[in-house]
Amino acid sequence: MSKELNIWLDNLLEDIESVQFNRKSSRRVRVDVASEALPALLELLQGHASYVHLSAITCVDWIDDDEFELVYHVWSYETRSLVSAHTRIPRDPGVYLSIYDLYQPAAFFERDIHEMFGVYFEGSPDMGRFILTEWDGPPPMRKEFDSESFVNQTFTWEQYHPQWLKDIEEEGGGITTRPEDVR
Amino acid sequence: MSTIDNIPVRHETPVAETGSKRSNPLAHVFDELVNFCRSRSLFMLHYCTGCGAIELPPAMTSRFDMERLGIQPMVSPRQADILLITGYVSIKTLKRVILTYEQMPAPKYVIGICSCTVNGGMYWQSYATAKMLKQYMPVDIYIAGCMPRPEAVISGLRTLMDDIESGRADSWKKYFQNYDYYLGNQQQLFGEHWQTPTDIIAEAHHYELITEQTLGEHTALLEKHQKPLDALEMRLTGKEKQKT
Repeated sequence: MSKELNIWLDNLLEDIESVQFNRKSSRRVRVDVASEALPALLELLQGHASYVHLSAITCVDWIDDDEFELVYHVWSYETRSLVSAHTRIPRDPGVYLSIYDLYQPAAFFERDIHEMFGVYFEGSPDMGRFILTEWDGPPPMRKEFDSESFVNQTFTWEQYHPQWLKDIEEEGGGITTRPEDVR
Repeated sequence: MSTIDNIPVRHETPVAETGSKRSNPLAHVFDELVNFCRSRSLFMLHYCTGCGAIELPPAMTSRFDMERLGIQPMVSPRQADILLITGYVSIKTLKRVILTYEQMPAPKYVIGICSCTVNGGMYWQSYATAKMLKQYMPVDIYIAGCMPRPEAVISGLRTLMDDIESGRADSWKKYFQNYDYYLGNQQQLFGEHWQTPTDIIAEAHHYELITEQTLGEHTALLEKHQKPLDALEMRLTGKEKQKT
């Protein structure tokens, strides 16, 4: 039964024009879809093709293309396969539709993405702070946020050549292998 | 600070007597005995911050057996002597670590385990982790490594025991003596409205560890923003209604 469902799904997805279909293996399918069509595709997968489990929603920041890529991973227990639906949304308003009405666990993933990337999901039940409750900077996973310069501004560093090491070096000792020699 | 007078212990020990404490030679012997006993019954607060905590179960249990040295885990900070910082401290965790540290009773020792407590370790680039633990609280010893093996943990604890016995491990005094420095670093990270329920300045008065570095611009800022903490309300309800 499960094989039949897979073949049926493959044929269907290959026939839809706006969907770019790519079967990676017997258990993995990659689908590239326009952002307008994604909720409809997920509804089809959940309602008619037994993809009832939303594993994760991930976000990729393509800063050069000025786009966010959202990847919805849905899993079917019947066919034992994972469909990854990729879609791209423009970076500037960074607003997309929530799929909370289809998959309720999406609320957590969307809240997390909102916190880390600043993408707002319309219709999601709670877009409040999730883990970074005491953070008031910009969303830290966006590519324009330079974590290294933030760290250099905020923190100071331990000295790598302190006085006690100089004393050891005067007696003829010291570090035999430096980190830059190993790298 | 207004609450100094509320601490009853201060009135019980007059200041004049403390000057003649050291004149009795037997008192020094007693101190050595106390240090000896103290170094052999250490309660370690069971508070694990990062990945280094995974090396503690083998160090505690039968293989390496920390308890043969008199070290055992303890559940509450009020009863603990050692605060082990096992790995990276995120800024959120650091707040809780400082609250915990300030709650511990006075001869208290901090051990920084793993590279992360020294200089950020492999999280040096992360926006979310604090880098140098010793900027926020005085650290007695560091056990370097990523992560240190249980042998290294045991060895570090033995060093701490020697330090306690010889009286070298007195970093808890530095927190009172240089409170302004530590508070300044905490305020730089958490914002100027940072305050803890523990009144460190009053405690410093109590231990007679007030120095020039205890009070300064940062404690003045703290005093400006500090909201007085109300005593917790105690209520007993429900039982009487059931009886009638």
